[in-house]
Amino acid sequence: MKKISLFLILFVLGLSSRELVVVGDKNFHESNLTRFEIKSIFLNKKRFINNEKILVMNHPVNHPLRLCFEKEILGKTERVLERYWRKAYYQGKRPPKVISSTKMLFLYLDSVHPAIGYSDFNATLDTNLTILYRVSCNNEF
Amino acid sequence: MKYLFILFILGYNSFLWAEEEASYGWNVPNSSLNIGGYLDMTYDQKREDKFLFNDIAMLFSANKNRFDLLGEIELSHISLNGKSNNNSDIDVHLERLQLSYTLSDKQTIQIGRFNSDIGYWNQAPIPILQDTTTKPHIISHLFPKSTTGLLFRQNIDEQNSFSLTLQNNKDIGHQDNSNETNRHFGMTYYVIKDDLSWRFSMGRYRESSDVSASYMGISSEYDGEELSVEAELFTQKSDKIENNKPYSGYIQSTWHLTASHDAVVRFEGYQDNTINVQEQIYLVGYAYRPTNNIALKSEYIYHSKLPLSHFIYSFSVLF
Repeated sequence: MKKISLFLILFVLGLSSRELVVVGDKNFHESNLTRFEIKSIFLNKKRFINNEKILVMNHPVNHPLRLCFEKEILGKTERVLERYWRKAYYQGKRPPKVISSTKMLFLYLDSVHPAIGYSDFNATLDTNLTILYRVSCNNEF
Repeated sequence: MKYLFILFILGYNSFLWAEEEASYGWNVPNSSLNIGGYLDMTYDQKREDKFLFNDIAMLFSANKNRFDLLGEIELSHISLNGKSNNNSDIDVHLERLQLSYTLSDKQTIQIGRFNSDIGYWNQAPIPILQDTTTKPHIISHLFPKSTTGLLFRQNIDEQNSFSLTLQNNKDIGHQDNSNETNRHFGMTYYVIKDDLSWRFSMGRYRESSDVSASYMGISSEYDGEELSVEAELFTQKSDKIENNKPYSGYIQSTWHLTASHDAVVRFEGYQDNTINVQEQIYLVGYAYRPTNNIALKSEYIYHSKLPLSHFIYSFSVLF
């Protein structure tokens, strides 16, 4: 009975939380990054890694992956980010490139180095991308 | 070979269809050049020209490899009769023209005319980016608003960085009401921890009138979902008048009531011995942002000593 209960709990937890991974191209210089480093890259504060300019990619506004990324990695809500990018524009900074699908993200990651984005962990299983950071999300992708 | 071709077509189209984040300005096709701007119009009953275009500005930026170019050209104080500062010749001036070069992952060097890397307000000193129309007293009175020279920035880690400023030449921009500087050495240390950040700045500058002064101050900013708080406190010592500006500071809180409505209060205090004034300034305001790039603001500003208390309304756009 205990085993069945444990299985059910894990099953329910498995359904309600998914794993988001921050991924780099297969030759990405680092094998993992800290949350602060990822935050700096996505907020256009850190633009180079090993002296090479990073291509940074984001999912569209309100995409479930993006909502999770903004909450768990950037630690900022959409409203706070809007204020941030308004000021950043005046300082000559641009937000990350928005890609319309995970498929497109992978195409970029295949052809541009260094490049960084994020995806559902399950979608990266058959790829040779560099997993840089993992985080659990409470929302469905 | 067939798959390679399909992959190429897919990849090519993906690059074509990849969209930038909803952004400001216009990206010139097939280039990194972005052209945009902002305008700010105010209604102030106390002023002779009640309606005034405070600023109409063009912003442009471009980047190539390690180089980043940023420029801001401004027309200011244009009344409805088309005069600028009561002069029929429209006054066009260079607010910023800066070229940055990324030396390494953590180091950047910048040359040109730029907003001095001091405090928070001075990094975004235009009304559309602020929650109030009026600026705190500290801006334009305690340190040089702009610098024409060199800026070196070093990121120590993701949370700590510092910058060094060096100017030993004339200001290439418009000589506005701020301190006209021909020499400036400054240093700013910057610490960030999630939504809270701090800046400590100090430096020395010489105005065109050959008066030198030193400044030192601390600034802090908290930017949360429902509340933003910004505070700055500076002191200035001049070679000419001893203890001329012992302090000037403000604290401003903005409550983000909804996605488009903000309520703001600001308290300021300063002592300026050059004009023999010590006073407090209180501000209560409201800002409505129907879209990300438009702001309608109204505020009442009360001066405890000088006869400058008034209502002011503004409309500003970032494009």
